[in-house]
Amino acid sequence: MKPDGKVVLLGDVNVGKTSLLHRYMERRFQGTVSTVGGAFFLKQWGPHHISLWDTAGREQFHGLGSMYCRGAAAVILTYDVTNFQSVVELEDRFLALTDTANRDCIFAVVGNKVDLTDACACVPEAEDGHLSEKPISSSVPTKVKKQVRMDDAIAFYKKILKYKMMDEKDAPAAEKMCFETSAKSGYMVDQLFETVFDMVVPTILEQKAEGSSQTVDLHNYKTAKNTQPGCCR
Amino acid sequence: MEAEDLGLPPKGGMDLPEDGVDPPEQKISPGCTETGEDELIVALDKQVELSAAQNNGPLSVADGKVDVQEELSEAREESSEKDLSDSASTDNTLEDSCEFSRPLVMGGGPSEEEEVAAQPRPATHRDEDVTAESWRAHRKHVFVLSEAGKPIYSRYGNEEALSSTMGVMMALVSFIQSGDNSIRSIYSDDRKLVFVQQGPLVLVSVSSTLQSEQQLRQELLYVYDQIISMLTQASITRIFERKKNYDLRRLLTGSEKILDRLLNLVESDPCFLLGAVRCLPLQPPLRDSLGSLLQKAITPNLVFSILVARSQLVTTVQEKTVIDDCRLEPTDLHLLLNLIGATSAFQTGEIWTPICLPRFNPDCYFYAYISYLDADCTVCLILLSTDKESFYSVSDCKKRIEEGMRTQNYLQALSSGLKSPSYSVGMVGAPDLRHFIYKPLDIPDNYRQLPQFTSPELEGPYCSESERHRLFDLYHYLHSRIHSTLRPLRLIYHVAEKETLLAWVTSKFELYTCFSPLVTKAGAINILTKLLRWIKKEEDRLFIRYPPKYSTTPNPGKGSKGVRTDGAENGFFGGL
Repeated sequence: MKPDGKVVLLGDVNVGKTSLLHRYMERRFQGTVSTVGGAFFLKQWGPHHISLWDTAGREQFHGLGSMYCRGAAAVILTYDVTNFQSVVELEDRFLALTDTANRDCIFAVVGNKVDLTDACACVPEAEDGHLSEKPISSSVPTKVKKQVRMDDAIAFYKKILKYKMMDEKDAPAAEKMCFETSAKSGYMVDQLFETVFDMVVPTILEQKAEGSSQTVDLHNYKTAKNTQPGCCR
Repeated sequence: MEAEDLGLPPKGGMDLPEDGVDPPEQKISPGCTETGEDELIVALDKQVELSAAQNNGPLSVADGKVDVQEELSEAREESSEKDLSDSASTDNTLEDSCEFSRPLVMGGGPSEEEEVAAQPRPATHRDEDVTAESWRAHRKHVFVLSEAGKPIYSRYGNEEALSSTMGVMMALVSFIQSGDNSIRSIYSDDRKLVFVQQGPLVLVSVSSTLQSEQQLRQELLYVYDQIISMLTQASITRIFERKKNYDLRRLLTGSEKILDRLLNLVESDPCFLLGAVRCLPLQPPLRDSLGSLLQKAITPNLVFSILVARSQLVTTVQEKTVIDDCRLEPTDLHLLLNLIGATSAFQTGEIWTPICLPRFNPDCYFYAYISYLDADCTVCLILLSTDKESFYSVSDCKKRIEEGMRTQNYLQALSSGLKSPSYSVGMVGAPDLRHFIYKPLDIPDNYRQLPQFTSPELEGPYCSESERHRLFDLYHYLHSRIHSTLRPLRLIYHVAEKETLLAWVTSKFELYTCFSPLVTKAGAINILTKLLRWIKKEEDRLFIRYPPKYSTTPNPGKGSKGVRTDGAENGFFGGL
């Protein structure tokens, strides 16, 4: 049984990729440790088997990213809302990895750890150019300042489309594909994965109609054989 | 306190020391000429006397180092019952007193441990205040830095905060190096500083344990190998060739836990000390069937199949072409298991990651498939392939193995063996025997077997961490005497304050035993005989006596059909 579609979680180290997946798959939050390489999960979605790849954010495993992304139907780019650098890293390091994904690959941009900030969901409306929460309001010591607004995510999403040379009209709307989640509380986690899976299904059906030649393709593997120097192949 | 008996057990030509005086083996290390060491010691002495901090050239850099060292020792001196005022430069006489005071120090150990434990510890070692007394009081510090003096790892405290300390360490290294020499160790009255340089990395251990310099060096090499297992030696060399002051932490973020865990394990698990793996005690028929199950579930480029349960080896199968030259090294397996242990365990997930087996080949990656077979994540299957793209075919092997285990009910059989953690020393039936470590040296087919050892659960007085540390300190000490390069021993009978220990090496085994303190010499020998008889009786269960055949050996009746020979050869040698 080969999986029908591939969804890959990408993002910098410690943004909570594994926690998100763990919350979704096992319905609980558990402190995790840094992932090595990538972890593979199989999710039954209706009649389809969707493979989920949770990748390591560590730079050490960077060379592998394109391998995990090969033939992906969807890529979930994850950042940490309390760390602006994590969005910058997405653009600098991770976007290029998606070159090996499907041409019509779907992108989702996810800001995790909103539970750490005081204002969670009310950000998209804030158009005043300031962070919606004020420093004084974050008097609770556990709350930290939110560094990435929804607008930033939407802007980044548009950048992705540009990079992929996709027309904004053809791609799913930015508002629909940008999420803010909390793996700790479970906030928006199910919505995220379910939206992505639902959008992957048409791709799967299309591929099946085409003769399912390129599901999760081990067939193109020769093209990428020499990407990792100094390795056993 | 310490007695080394001359005419003890029946066997083995013994080479026992007449007294407790150690030759200068611990003082000046072989690779270091006297000039180099002397210069350093002069520098040390000066600082001790003057305690001035002036900055002129290399000497004062050494001064800075001494500061650190002095502070380290002060912290220890207060609580230690030891009375040694000699400076680092004293020679053999110091060694004498050290030797004799050893049991005393051990007695003093636990109370000090408790003191330290009583202080509230920060949440993680990473956040520790490096200027605090408690930081200095740690039993063993380990630092890793680059040749440019950039901090890479510190066991306790933030590396950033320690950058000046590490700078001093590097200055010491390069100062000695400039005289065409290399620094290997510094001894103070209660600390050993051991330096290891491996390519562009420098590793330093600052220890107040009883471990020998050789053992500390070995530990540092384990740390180095663990780093290599994540990055490969070739890539580290390449990185530092391109950029001398590269910050290697970029590549190691998230890996600190793996190194932390390794250092804890090294102190508490004899597998590192003995260079041997611990096998899960199992009935031979079950182990054999699991082996043949692994042997059948193969795919091209799959080189090693390893089944472990709670970090204890169940069985392993390896590709024929590999074994011709080498075998899986215990170190590689330990490092791999440590890495897995430090990674999130999910039963539903299957991990696919590049991993280097440093002793096997430090420059290449294997691709490791890691999956747990039971809900509690205790039984773990590791499949090592040389083909990066073979995840799905390797995953398929796992499905076959899982299926086979299900139909035969092997998993139940395995997990019933896991319920009781290992076995109790009481099974030997010798009340005065508290604990032992036994490493057989006469396993059949030794050349293609992993070295193995067995050891019961720690019980009785060794329940607390400090007591366990104390016992392992003693084992480390016995091991260092047995394996001393200058005066190796075959047998050592050691009466410590709270227990009596006996270590014995023959051509057939290496054995460390711990008895209650009141055991007599004759009593200990009797128990030993009993223990050896018990092990003989149980050896089929305790050890992998006959390893599974290679997965490609054309061996009729064993199920392998030699399908892999072509593909495997290509993949494997291509990688080398």
